[in-house]
Amino acid sequence: MDQLKHIGKSYTRSDAVNKVTGSAEYVDDIRLPRMLYAQCVRSPHAHAKILSVDTAAAWAMPGVRAVITGEEYPNRAGLYLEDRYFMAKAGDTAKYRGEAVAAVAAETPEIAQAACAAIRVEYEVLPAVTNAVEGMKADAPVIHPELGSYKVAPIFYPKPGTNISHHYVLRKGDFEVASFQADRVFTHKYYIPHVQHVPMEPHGCIARYDPDGKLTVWASCQSPYAVRQALSVAFGLPLHKIRVISQAVGGGFGAKAGTTLEGIVIPLARQCQGRPVKLVYSREDEFINAYVRQGMHATITTAMRADGKILGVHNEFIWDGGAYTEYGVNITKAGGWGSAGPYDIENVWTDSYCVYTNHPVGGPYRGFGMCEIHFAIEQNIDQIAHEMGLSEVEIRRINALCPGGHTGMGEKMDVAGYAECLEQVIRDIEYDVPSVQVSPTKIRAKGIAGGWKSPSMPTNAGSSAILRMNEDGTFFLMSSGQELGQGAATVLPQIAAEVLSVPPHMIAFVSGDTDHTPYEWQTVASRTTYCAGNACKLAAENLRDKLLDLAQIKMGAVKRDLELCDGYIVHKIYPERRIPMKDLALGITFDDGSGYGGPAIGVGTFTLENNINTDKKTGVATHHPAAFWTMGANGVEVEVDTETGHIKVLKMCSCFDAGKVINPALFCAQSEGAMVQALGTALFEELKLKDGKVLNPSFVDYKIPTADDMPELIPKFVEYAEPTGPYGARGAGEPLMVPGAPAIANAVFNAIGVRFTKMPITPEDVLNALKP
Amino acid sequence: MKYQIRFTLNGEEQELYVPANYTMLRVLRDELNFMGTKEGCGAGECGACTVIADGRPVNACIVLAPEMDGMSIETVEGLAKDGRLTPLQEAFVSHAALQCGFCTPGFLMSATALLRENPHPAREEIIRAISGNLCRCTGYVRIIEAIEDAARDNGQ
Amino acid sequence: MKNFLYHKPTTLSEALSLRARYGQSAVLLAGGSDVVIQLREHLIAPEAVIDIKGIAELTGVVWDEHNLWIGAKTTMRELAEHPEVLRAYPFLADAASRVGSKQLRNRATCVGNIVNASPLCDTGTPLYALDAVVVTNAREIPICEFITFVRRTSLAADEIVTGIRVPHQNCKGEFTKISRRSEVDLSTVCATVLQAGDSYRLSFGAVAPTPLRLRETEALLNGKPLTAARIEQAAISARAEVKPISDIRASLEYRLDMVELITRRSLTNLMNGGSEA
Repeated sequence: MDQLKHIGKSYTRSDAVNKVTGSAEYVDDIRLPRMLYAQCVRSPHAHAKILSVDTAAAWAMPGVRAVITGEEYPNRAGLYLEDRYFMAKAGDTAKYRGEAVAAVAAETPEIAQAACAAIRVEYEVLPAVTNAVEGMKADAPVIHPELGSYKVAPIFYPKPGTNISHHYVLRKGDFEVASFQADRVFTHKYYIPHVQHVPMEPHGCIARYDPDGKLTVWASCQSPYAVRQALSVAFGLPLHKIRVISQAVGGGFGAKAGTTLEGIVIPLARQCQGRPVKLVYSREDEFINAYVRQGMHATITTAMRADGKILGVHNEFIWDGGAYTEYGVNITKAGGWGSAGPYDIENVWTDSYCVYTNHPVGGPYRGFGMCEIHFAIEQNIDQIAHEMGLSEVEIRRINALCPGGHTGMGEKMDVAGYAECLEQVIRDIEYDVPSVQVSPTKIRAKGIAGGWKSPSMPTNAGSSAILRMNEDGTFFLMSSGQELGQGAATVLPQIAAEVLSVPPHMIAFVSGDTDHTPYEWQTVASRTTYCAGNACKLAAENLRDKLLDLAQIKMGAVKRDLELCDGYIVHKIYPERRIPMKDLALGITFDDGSGYGGPAIGVGTFTLENNINTDKKTGVATHHPAAFWTMGANGVEVEVDTETGHIKVLKMCSCFDAGKVINPALFCAQSEGAMVQALGTALFEELKLKDGKVLNPSFVDYKIPTADDMPELIPKFVEYAEPTGPYGARGAGEPLMVPGAPAIANAVFNAIGVRFTKMPITPEDVLNALKP
Repeated sequence: MKYQIRFTLNGEEQELYVPANYTMLRVLRDELNFMGTKEGCGAGECGACTVIADGRPVNACIVLAPEMDGMSIETVEGLAKDGRLTPLQEAFVSHAALQCGFCTPGFLMSATALLRENPHPAREEIIRAISGNLCRCTGYVRIIEAIEDAARDNGQ
Repeated sequence: MKNFLYHKPTTLSEALSLRARYGQSAVLLAGGSDVVIQLREHLIAPEAVIDIKGIAELTGVVWDEHNLWIGAKTTMRELAEHPEVLRAYPFLADAASRVGSKQLRNRATCVGNIVNASPLCDTGTPLYALDAVVVTNAREIPICEFITFVRRTSLAADEIVTGIRVPHQNCKGEFTKISRRSEVDLSTVCATVLQAGDSYRLSFGAVAPTPLRLRETEALLNGKPLTAARIEQAAISARAEVKPISDIRASLEYRLDMVELITRRSLTNLMNGGSEA
């Protein structure tokens, strides 16, 4: 490849100036004329039949403009499994504590709140399922009796009559034979509780119905096209009558994928034609009513050869999917896909169950199941190493997935940088050098863990981009790959800039409007640099091709001898023969005044080809079901106060194989954020649930890390190009978070000799474990 | 009943009539359309609504509107003058000390107040000054480095 | 939050007459860090809010011949940064500086912290240990008698706390805060352990409905030199003297462990002659 001019450079963020001046516009910053404010009535029960909803008193209040109940919702909707109305209906059941049962739009938030308080709902309380393992039992109350009639994507297998909405099965090789051949077999169990994403911006949405039937939705969402699709299904609206606009998004981490509160606002807006209706979640709502990261019970049985080779694993993952699992079924599947970890294991059997419970609704969270399963996988490896007298490093070296090896699903990997990432973090954390002890009651030690992730997206997920050239040689790059903070608005123009050979600041990034920016499946799955990046690259190549077509006429030269260089079209052999690119922005004008070739627009569409589903029966890959696998490792050093039980993380080192890093500063920033987010889950974060009630829906009792908790952070990367990625890039935003929590747990073990199979690891847990 | 309040906002005199149960945050956003100050929790726990009031950073979500009377309030909109970013804002840009940007105004106000009081803070002082500002994206390190960088610009 | 009337008196007598007019249906506002949250969460819905920040006589920290005076308007930050407080009672400054965030400490007041009467109020334990006196317009009340239960005080509906008086004393010791996160968190357990001459004062927060002085443990220690064995005895005694509960932040057992640990650590530091350790 030629020398890259713009790829691999740390350009400043294109959105930075607006964000440091407070000018970036988030949904809650939008003020529309005659806007109304919405509030919801929510079920106070974990599981209850709704006998009646009386809205008369609310309607009677001055200033109330609309009141809705579940009756407004004709159809169930959902991303992979259409299992939810956006509001529970009378006669049906409310399935978690906090589920919307009615909503009001009024002139002020105060009136809306008062009107909600006036709505009378009669419930018949039903027995609740508050544990996924219990929920799988034959005598458990069935939360979705109509599961068998729900529309479901063909790769998911619900079990009607039970609470199991998906049973993922992987049968590669024969685990039973492997355990027969094994020198030792180990079984270990883990539990990962529910956690919340905690984007700093709570979810918000404004909807307006115009008299001609056009619905406009301003939503703080990661995936405007997915929202449009869900609304279309739920309300039976044609897609050209729905416009979803997503402006600045104040953090997503998965919480703002899918469709949540948008579904509540729309029927309200329909009743108030022409008047916009706004709903913004309170922080309490954000904790309870935004998607949660599902809880998970893991059991891993491992067949080991005496020399440290893993002969086989059998994983059982039981996911607490919550009241609706329209999205959760795919996390269950993703957990199955990744269940071998970044290791080459011949025999992999995995059963991954998505189970309905009467808990808040599970959904995507940075890592999409990988943070959860790796908390198990990466501790399991350390435990086995210790029990077999091997080193934690050696056992990983022996089993690491290397180029030419095979994934748990059986894909052959031509590129795999895991082993090198592992060696890098071992060097950076100086794993072979024991920690320097500073106090007899504060024990320091180090730990490592690896991890990987692939995008668990539909095999045909599509991306598109449009690149428009302006008369002055500047560009608009239009894509619906959303800027969530991860840097899409900086990185995607960099990719186009490389193709066009212009500075990235000459390309304005336009996104987030389904009427104007082209289709993007979703901004999730660490797929944006890869999928939207490919579409942007193709759009730029398409535009380049068109410009060169015109240039060969204008310059009287053959296309193959021309290239784009720093804003000019230049003859490769006679570089003095060149014309500014901008001269072709509107095509060519000949001497006789006639024009040709029109305004310059490039179009790029990307669907990964030959991305083929796994075998239905065995889950084994015949080709590549995953677009790519991103692998890496963390090394950490912790200090455990044996008197108070407090754990301080002193240092975290990360190394990932990102294929090609488009913008190193932004990559490192993602890596740093991911490590601290992982630290939060390892030490502080748990959505505490009792009888279906969230006990800590506030920052007072749900603690995320502050600046004071930040350890020394060392983010690194290696670059083994992804064959199908733009300039070799693969996605990294989520995988970067995966090894953090198990690395901390492993370090804590190395410090005090206690294995914590549940996170967060609290001071109290530490102290209890240290008691004689 | 509404209460007359007079205060300066980013140096400009303001006079308003506000209900007692509004917060400073609501006055800034809903009455004056100063949207840079964000609501992240409404309970004084996240720092997204940090403004500088009479020289000191406070959470605008837990100040009642009538209390604003007589105050001198600075928000993120008041930092850049004539389109020129402050050195601190410049440092946030050049260090990529922001991602989603929602918490950024609050951090800038906490750090601006700190640097005025203490032009050369130690790292620990920076950390304590911004511990009341939550950020979920960055892991904080670039924010701290940006503040250190701006402090270096303060000369000796 | 529900609407209410807002008053900002400029003199104490004006405030008192408002207090008399509204009785229980008014709430006093200083820093607002507790009151505004309670309003927002509909925990209170007063007819009137009386903002005392306009009353000049309630201003600031005064160090006079006999007393440290903490006026009702004194913010946590003013208390934490006051040079005399830092010199004479660094543990009190420390406690004030560990309350909430910097933003909060610029608003929250020490007197508000006491009047709010949370069992885990951070400035409670140093003031208990210093035998501080809560001063109202009408009377003086020892702080141990002022706070009567969780969020309850002996303040009458027509009374206003003007400040807290701490008689000068020679003492050394330390404040300890155990919390889940080291910055901007509520105390799981907080404590102040002091030595004044040959007597000892131990007070703990978040281990009973009010902050607690551990009189029995103090009696065990008073008048005797500190030895490792006596410290062990005191740690066991302290554990027996507190009455914590289990809640979302920690279990009873963990709190007991922390009481024992703090007692041991702080007394050991005193034995070794330090107070800043």
